[in-house]
Amino acid sequence: MSKRLTLWLAVLLLLIAGALPVLDMLLRSLFIDGRFTLEAWNGLLADSRQWLLMRNSLLLASLVTLFTFVLGVPLGILLGKTDLPLRRALTLLFTIPLLIPPYIVAVAWSGLLQLLAPGGDIAGAWLFGLPGCVLVLSTVFLPIPLLLTQVLLRSVDPQMEEAGRLATGWRGVLAGITLPLILPGVLLAAVLVFLLALGEFSVPNYLRYAVFPVESFTQFSAFYDFSAATTAALPLAGVALILVLFEALLLHRHGWRLHSAGGGIDFLRIPLGRWHGGLLLAVALAGLLFILLPIGTLTIQSLGSYGEALRRAGGSLANSLLFATGGATLLATVGFLIGYLIQTRSLRSWRAVDTLTLFLLALPGTVIGIGLTGLWNRPLTDIIYATPLIILIGYLARYIALTSRINAAQLAQIPPSMEEAAQIAGAGWYRRIFFIVIPLAWRGLLASWLVGYIFSLRDTGITLLVHPAGAETLPVRILTLMANGSPALIAALCVIMIAATLVPAGLLWAILASHRNKRSGEEVLA
Amino acid sequence: MKVVELKAVSKSLDQVPVLQAIDLAVSAGERLVIFGPSGCGKTTLLRLVAGFLAPDVGSLVIGGELAARDGRSLIPPERRNIGMVFQNLALWPHFSVRGNIEFGLKARGLPRPEREQRVAAMLKLVGLENLARRKPGELSGGQQQRVALARALAPHPDLVLLDEPLSSLDPALNDRMRKEIVRLQETLGFTLIHVTHNREEADEIATRLIGMEQGSIVERPLPANA
Repeated sequence: MSKRLTLWLAVLLLLIAGALPVLDMLLRSLFIDGRFTLEAWNGLLADSRQWLLMRNSLLLASLVTLFTFVLGVPLGILLGKTDLPLRRALTLLFTIPLLIPPYIVAVAWSGLLQLLAPGGDIAGAWLFGLPGCVLVLSTVFLPIPLLLTQVLLRSVDPQMEEAGRLATGWRGVLAGITLPLILPGVLLAAVLVFLLALGEFSVPNYLRYAVFPVESFTQFSAFYDFSAATTAALPLAGVALILVLFEALLLHRHGWRLHSAGGGIDFLRIPLGRWHGGLLLAVALAGLLFILLPIGTLTIQSLGSYGEALRRAGGSLANSLLFATGGATLLATVGFLIGYLIQTRSLRSWRAVDTLTLFLLALPGTVIGIGLTGLWNRPLTDIIYATPLIILIGYLARYIALTSRINAAQLAQIPPSMEEAAQIAGAGWYRRIFFIVIPLAWRGLLASWLVGYIFSLRDTGITLLVHPAGAETLPVRILTLMANGSPALIAALCVIMIAATLVPAGLLWAILASHRNKRSGEEVLA
Repeated sequence: MKVVELKAVSKSLDQVPVLQAIDLAVSAGERLVIFGPSGCGKTTLLRLVAGFLAPDVGSLVIGGELAARDGRSLIPPERRNIGMVFQNLALWPHFSVRGNIEFGLKARGLPRPEREQRVAAMLKLVGLENLARRKPGELSGGQQQRVALARALAPHPDLVLLDEPLSSLDPALNDRMRKEIVRLQETLGFTLIHVTHNREEADEIATRLIGMEQGSIVERPLPANA
């Protein structure tokens, strides 16, 4: 009973944090002045600007998905499956843009292009608009297919690859066996990138490319036109829902059951032989060009401005760290319970809950922010809306998919018999969770906390819309200072933001690396 | 004629010696069974022969050609003309039964008519003609075993390696599959190395039986009635 009650409470929290605001938005668009009407929807369909925004949003998301897929999967194979030197360091390097607020990457590119052509207008002509958005968002989301490909490659049964190696070389095995096996997972990465690019607000806003999330934010913040903002947000919610259902129905059905072989050989690496040097050089150059150069430029620009940066945004940094810590704790706790629910299928609604979490991740932060404002901005609920609690609720809604899936993946590694043995011995559910499951799944719990921390810290869309007075976070402060702050000050704030993110990211990396080191039987197969 | 020869082969995994100065020769048409407890090095020996590992010391000759010597693999697995049935079968779940059998034939560049003829012959040989379109996940344990055997045999290998493929079967099915393996070997005439920890299974399949203990080979006579 305690098990079902606790899991239902976690689901209820998720419904209140995420589903209710979206439902409220939908109802507000359908019921105006207390009566049912399709007026808002008809207006939306008749407005040519809405179609332009939809075209721009879909074009941007498609191009970003194409680039990240075409580059990320081969890079994931190269860094995750071969014996390329420095592959861990290079993976970490390519992951950095995902860990920081996306607009910081845009600021860094802008700085680099200004440096390359001072006084010229290269940045204005090239970076601001669709090409710049595609470049920045491709850099930001490239780690998703890259990392997911690496994880999926590790879950392919090495004996299936060995069975293929008896017939053909590694190229044939990759094309015929390994890639088809991981394809459903890779397609999921593509769907995820598409949704995240579709909902991205800060980069198109900074690079002045008209897409739905920017329109929705502008209607809300500049004109406080709640109805227009809601109407502009709903098409995105619709597209997100369609793709999430596609993922749930199609990809789940066609997903192959991947195994790790267990004892003996866990993983096979492809020897690169004479390609070693050339490929290392190519990957290192890509890392230098797309990550180190822009961020290095930002760092150089920031020198001498750290005093002013801390004076003007020290409070925001403290807020960021505090809210990120609170958000991570909430996300890890609820994520563990939802992950447990998904893994053990303890409630019949487990698949619906899993789909809901992915849908909320796919929604733009600004849409969740507008939904939360509409639902909670009432005198009766001021205790939530007028305090940082509203920010934490927003983080919970948007990022629960990440922490629940990390925990579910970790819990999948624990044989069910572990908990069953404790149950037979007479332990109740809480005792089993605290004394058996958590000690075995602590790595996943910690990793989910750190992922929750990083994503709460880098959040811009939700916090920008719902933060109460005096509770501004650093990414929001940087965005507001961009209007009148000097480039050096902005650069210094961005570097502080990067440092605040990379310290816990380094910790996460160390944990994952130590976990990986404990795996045995890795082999380079000729 | 010797199909496989191991000369003074030693191999360590994670600094633990697994095989120690192994000398072994397998003649054409032989059904050699390597019998021994878990962890004695049987699977490592098979993986060396298949080309997934190279001996740290010693040499390996396959079909008269030097295949590996002193830490270096000289012939890759796909050029050794070996078929193998893995302990967990390792059937590819995204291919049908036909696709699993045909993969190795495609990789060897066989023309389509010959591929189809060989797949049909293999399906008939293992009695799965009606299940060609099924995915491995839709088959029973025994049917999966037969697909794995058909996949290993389709390219007409000189040597077939069986890595405890019957260990997970119930006694009745295990007994049927033993007879099936012997029948297939006698029909097609390939050389077979079969590893197992089941003495009864070893006695029934072997024309020659050797034991393994802690990485070394111990000759074991077959029972008189085998």
